[in-house]
Amino acid sequence: MKERLARIVADLPADYADIRYEENRKTRISYRGKKLEQISSYATSGGHIRVYAKGGKATASFTDPGNIGKIADASLASAKLASAGRDRPLRLADGPVVTGEFPVSPKLDPRELRLEEKLELLRHYNDLILKSPEVLTSEAEYDEFGSKRLFVNSEGSIVEYELLNVGIFGLIVTKRGNLVQRVRFAFGGNEDSSRLQDRDEELIERIEMARRLLDASPPRAGIYPVILDPDEAAVFIHEAFGHLSEADGLQNNPAFREKLRIGTKLGREILNVTDDPTIPGHPGSYEIDDEGVLGAKTRLITGGILTGRLHSRETAAEFDEPLSGNMRAVDAHFTPIVRMSNIFIEPGTSSFDEMIASIDDGYYLIGARGGQTSGDQFTFGAQWGYRIENGRIGGMIRDINMSGELFSTLSAISMIGDDLAFGERGGCGKGMPMQLNRKSGKGAPHIKIDRVTLGGV
Amino acid sequence: MHRLIERARGKVDEAELYWKREHTISVRYENYRLQGITEDELSSVALRVIADGRLGTTYGVDPDRTGLIEEARQAARFGDEAGFSFAGVADYKPVENYDKTSETLKSADLVDLCESVKERIGRIRPDIPLFIVAGTLRRDLVVETTNGASGRDTSTRVSLGFGGPIKGAGIGVYKSTASVSPIEVDQELVDEFLEWYGWTENKSTPKTGRLPVILAPEAAYLYLLPLSVGLSGDAVEKGTSPLIDRLGEEVLSERLSVIDDPLRDRDPGARPFDDEGVPCRRRALVEKGILRDYLIDLRTGGALGRDSTGNGLKRQLFGGGTETRPNPWPVNITVEPGEVSYREMISSLDEGLLVTGGMGFHSGNYPQGDFAVQAIGFHIKNGKVIGRLDRTMISANIYKDLKNVRSVSKERRLGFGGMLPGGPVPYVLVDSLRVAGK
Repeated sequence: MKERLARIVADLPADYADIRYEENRKTRISYRGKKLEQISSYATSGGHIRVYAKGGKATASFTDPGNIGKIADASLASAKLASAGRDRPLRLADGPVVTGEFPVSPKLDPRELRLEEKLELLRHYNDLILKSPEVLTSEAEYDEFGSKRLFVNSEGSIVEYELLNVGIFGLIVTKRGNLVQRVRFAFGGNEDSSRLQDRDEELIERIEMARRLLDASPPRAGIYPVILDPDEAAVFIHEAFGHLSEADGLQNNPAFREKLRIGTKLGREILNVTDDPTIPGHPGSYEIDDEGVLGAKTRLITGGILTGRLHSRETAAEFDEPLSGNMRAVDAHFTPIVRMSNIFIEPGTSSFDEMIASIDDGYYLIGARGGQTSGDQFTFGAQWGYRIENGRIGGMIRDINMSGELFSTLSAISMIGDDLAFGERGGCGKGMPMQLNRKSGKGAPHIKIDRVTLGGV
Repeated sequence: MHRLIERARGKVDEAELYWKREHTISVRYENYRLQGITEDELSSVALRVIADGRLGTTYGVDPDRTGLIEEARQAARFGDEAGFSFAGVADYKPVENYDKTSETLKSADLVDLCESVKERIGRIRPDIPLFIVAGTLRRDLVVETTNGASGRDTSTRVSLGFGGPIKGAGIGVYKSTASVSPIEVDQELVDEFLEWYGWTENKSTPKTGRLPVILAPEAAYLYLLPLSVGLSGDAVEKGTSPLIDRLGEEVLSERLSVIDDPLRDRDPGARPFDDEGVPCRRRALVEKGILRDYLIDLRTGGALGRDSTGNGLKRQLFGGGTETRPNPWPVNITVEPGEVSYREMISSLDEGLLVTGGMGFHSGNYPQGDFAVQAIGFHIKNGKVIGRLDRTMISANIYKDLKNVRSVSKERRLGFGGMLPGGPVPYVLVDSLRVAGK
């Protein structure tokens, strides 16, 4: 297969061509309440080809590798057709020719465990939730995705690499009267199964939070200073800023390109934001991306100034900026797109107590509960939180939604904690069609934002 | 009958094959430039079996791959009691969801379609960084069971969407349309896009309080998604639905009728059977505000002691696909039209909002019928649009706030911004929603 695919891209009369072929194994087990909803372990395979010709681009996903010669020819024709619709040719930044193998080597390899063991572990956590008082129901999912990928391009790169992610995540649902509350949990998020074990204490804490939320009140709608816990702060930086550092979204949006020139001041001097696939052990850790480019650390914001961006070879050429190795595809059904790897706010110097003490009338928001951005507008939820009054933590709040505009919110980050932590949940959706990635890492310390709009009563 | 089903007989109690093949071409323009052409040829398979009364599932790409049955049987060893049987012999009502000419569309035809949009908008507003996406899809779906269900359906769908980000805002104005057949550019859609885009020149933030809100078809998911989740047999079975034991009660305004209409000819969501091979049929879910029925698939039907309503779809709230197990969803949700025009709605308001979308829906408590989003849309004063909404949150509980609907428009469009497959939906003027602004 390797030689055949390499020959096809090498022989294609195009500016550039590459093929990624994948053999994937997925194991998914899920409980909803007591019911085991799904248990399956299965294999899929398929490929994706990208062709650049005369400055136009075409891509194709396919299931049957037997047809690849025909598909390559059709893609070449489409790329030429596409070139006619452009006044400026697409170019690719020079990338090194990479050959070699990049396997993963987990401490405890989920691929070597029996299905029974995985089921047993998931059932254990699910039972822990269900036997707790006031729990209405639960969701618990074991998700393992292993991918063996082959990448060849017309420049001579031939790479075999593995991706492996395993996680247990779910939802605790409590109910009293008509009030239903939800708290999420996530364990794992990297290649190592040992991280899924012995997490009872943390789960019990989460269950307790879901119960205490039944006594909480919604916040009062308005504009407040808030403190975000590391989980919420990490999702904030991912959603509100991170997506705007993905160059493919900016490529054809002149207004944002102007707003986000390298060197633009985005925050105060304390703010430093980095994307780094090379730190091991997080959901977005990898050695090489799906465009054959080695993953690299990118300083996105340094001392409050925009200093870097995440790129494909195409956008790196367009912006004349360095390659970052952030082109990734969820699986063979999709073309790679620019995605964050592990994005995080670097730790600052403030202690949590100082941060709380600095607020007279505000909120402390904890735990991410989904988010959405559109350009510079963001909105996302928190799982629970507390009122802050006169520098002290007060009553618990529920049903929290915050929203705002990125640029003013970034510059309103006024304190950064010294307690950087990474989340174990790797979810992120992007693209048309939507690619739901489970390998997107996020981290942050506690942060204080001076002004945020909270929905509520 | 597919060989896989033949082979499964005798090896397991029951088997169900779901096999989807899709050929898609799509063309994408960004900022007036052709960004790329994609042509995909994909096959995916789900095999469910019931063995010793237990359910097992496996997936793959090729129904002829050896080992599929054994893999599903292994999964069934750990599986729960199935509690239901796969679909049996059924007559599927014919529905027009296929057009041969759509299948013959080439990427060059889609480029022409995009060029036509580009030309019409570009000559008036070359300053808008316009994006355009045109696509064509042919789908072959097979759902067969050892109980005799034998669903085979070929459908086509041609779609066109275009939009542009608003300068200085993180949001944009988008319009889309889709059909079973090849589409021409609809000048009305282009004009509406240009009008809406023109309205974005100014921004405006209403005062915090309660205001009348027009929900455009594009924003209909704000109430149709919570409603769909509430109507789901899954939420009924789990006890989380706020609609339990409320059949025959008024749950929405009497001006609202929500119909699941899979057999509506030529709607891009039309289909004869669901993803479990159960026949689809037209059903009122909410009729003049009265709750008529829930959405039931085989599994929730088994748990609730009733038949599937033909609503088992491989979908989740966001996304879905072959590797998603069937869940109860509307197949082709529609809302009945009213009498007024949407322009009359606008001119009738001293102050109000025209909402065309929202951000942050999925972090709200939608299973209970709540939504709280950053509103995308327009601020209306003295019967006229005065600008796009800026820093404005709207929140509602659909079972309280949508009891009071002033009017429903006679115009309908395919809506939802891709959030739900569905048919036409009107503009809905809600008496008042909570607005957090200035």
